[in-house]
Amino acid sequence: MLEVKNIHKSFSKSPVLRGIDFKVEKGEVVAVIGPSGSGKTTLLRCISFLEKADEGEIVFDEYTHDMVHISKRDIKKVRMNMGFVFQSFNLFSNMTVYDNVMEGLVTARKMDRCEARKKTFEVLEKVGMLDKTKNYPGELSGGQQQRVAIARAIAPDPKVILFDEPTSALDPELTGEVLDVMKKLAKEGTTMVVVTHEMGFARDVASRVVFMENGVVVEEGKAKELFENPKEERTRQFLSAMSKHE
Amino acid sequence: MSDRLVDILVTSFMRILIPGIKVTIPLTLLSFLLSLVIGLLLALVQVANIKGLKEFARFYIWIFRGTPLIVQLFIIFFGLPSIGITLDAFPAAVLAFGMNLGAYNAEVFRSAIMAIPKGQLEAAYMIGLNYPQAMARVILPQSFPVAFPNLFNNLISLLKDTSLAASITVIELFTSAQQIAARTYEPFALYCEAALIYLIFSTALTWLQNWIEKKLVWKSGENDKDKDADCGCGRNKAMVG
Ligand SMILES: Nc1ncnc2c1ncn2[C@@H]1O[C@H](COP(=O)(O)OP(=O)(O)O)[C@@H](O)[C@H]1O
Ligand SMILES: [Mg+2]
Repeated sequence: MLEVKNIHKSFSKSPVLRGIDFKVEKGEVVAVIGPSGSGKTTLLRCISFLEKADEGEIVFDEYTHDMVHISKRDIKKVRMNMGFVFQSFNLFSNMTVYDNVMEGLVTARKMDRCEARKKTFEVLEKVGMLDKTKNYPGELSGGQQQRVAIARAIAPDPKVILFDEPTSALDPELTGEVLDVMKKLAKEGTTMVVVTHEMGFARDVASRVVFMENGVVVEEGKAKELFENPKEERTRQFLSAMSKHE
Repeated sequence: MSDRLVDILVTSFMRILIPGIKVTIPLTLLSFLLSLVIGLLLALVQVANIKGLKEFARFYIWIFRGTPLIVQLFIIFFGLPSIGITLDAFPAAVLAFGMNLGAYNAEVFRSAIMAIPKGQLEAAYMIGLNYPQAMARVILPQSFPVAFPNLFNNLISLLKDTSLAASITVIELFTSAQQIAARTYEPFALYCEAALIYLIFSTALTWLQNWIEKKLVWKSGENDKDKDADCGCGRNKAMVG
């Protein structure tokens, strides 16, 4: 469904991703965990071409692309089937909640406005934001903004949705409402890649967990196995450090 | 103040105000419009990094900001005829002011566009918009309120600078004051009167600026319309607000 092979990426000579291989099957929820600075955000940004990898290959939607020499047209084709939820929400501040969700349907996909409207209401209902359709992002709490951002990402029915620490910019009391929405999506069989520091979410919701450090995948496996019985010493250390935080 | 002077000031007020309204204001507005178009284009080719056009934009800005406005005015009105391009005074003035301010507004637009957080463009890409769509739908609408105060300051400067058009025979506010001053031998009073009328115009613009700036915040209102209400997709209006 989505596979990336051997991604390398350096920022001004310092390597951030050092040969990442990574695979997501349809309907899977993959949690990516790891200390900050390990390259998790960069990985998602390379997969979505917000950052250009120095080397690597992506297989998505049955097409294989060289991540360095991919054309603008192919990048757009990939993005049309990919949702992205940012740490800092990035809702369009010049548009209402309703228009934020409509935009990808109407402007990017030329969907009929009435059909797009139906879809927009459907996803806003799913994230519990139907009562705020006319509000602007600046009038919403962080949790509400992130829920709208999720609605915007799922509205075009993408094949996979990438989440980059969707709750880490939120006050602790607001993370629950966002995680609940994500759990709902997972239950519906949405394919998701979730970079997160929420170990509870990774353990209970993810089907697979990938532990990254220093730009490499240290260990990956079924969520339950990785949490209960990590093979690598580094994974064990990280998990125990994280559990002290909770 | 003598009765004669009062008399001159009263009768000349209209004679200065009318060319002000009929010439200075259209000259200001047309030049400003031209400067907005030029400024936006010059800013866009720079932020979009279009080879060739970007260098042209830098060159244009270098020339128009690096030379005096009055010299540009003279080149266009007195200079161009010698290479076969003759313009009337008014269009020559619009062209000179518009092209000159275009260079300044290009910088205003450019820095406003650069001030929009990078995440907005990235989010636009990730919902499937291409660069022109992202610019038109997300980045430019957000840049406009950022650019607005500086654009408006430039408009107010332009209003005053249009008095330079007097030097290329445009009969505008200041020219009219000059003519009356020459006839009545009361330059002090007449030029003060001209200054007062400019002050009235620029004060009105400042009020307009404050009023518009209040409207440039994105806030939901009580009676916002539901754009797609007539779709009848089985949802009632209550759900949109
Ligand atoms: N645009 C950039 N320019 C330079 N260095 C960057 C950039 N983005 C990330 N980095 C560096 O790459 C490393 C990995 O960052 P990141 O992918 O954000 O890690 P994580 O998301 O796991 O915390 C960090 O050391 C960070 O400083
Ligand atoms: Mg990160």
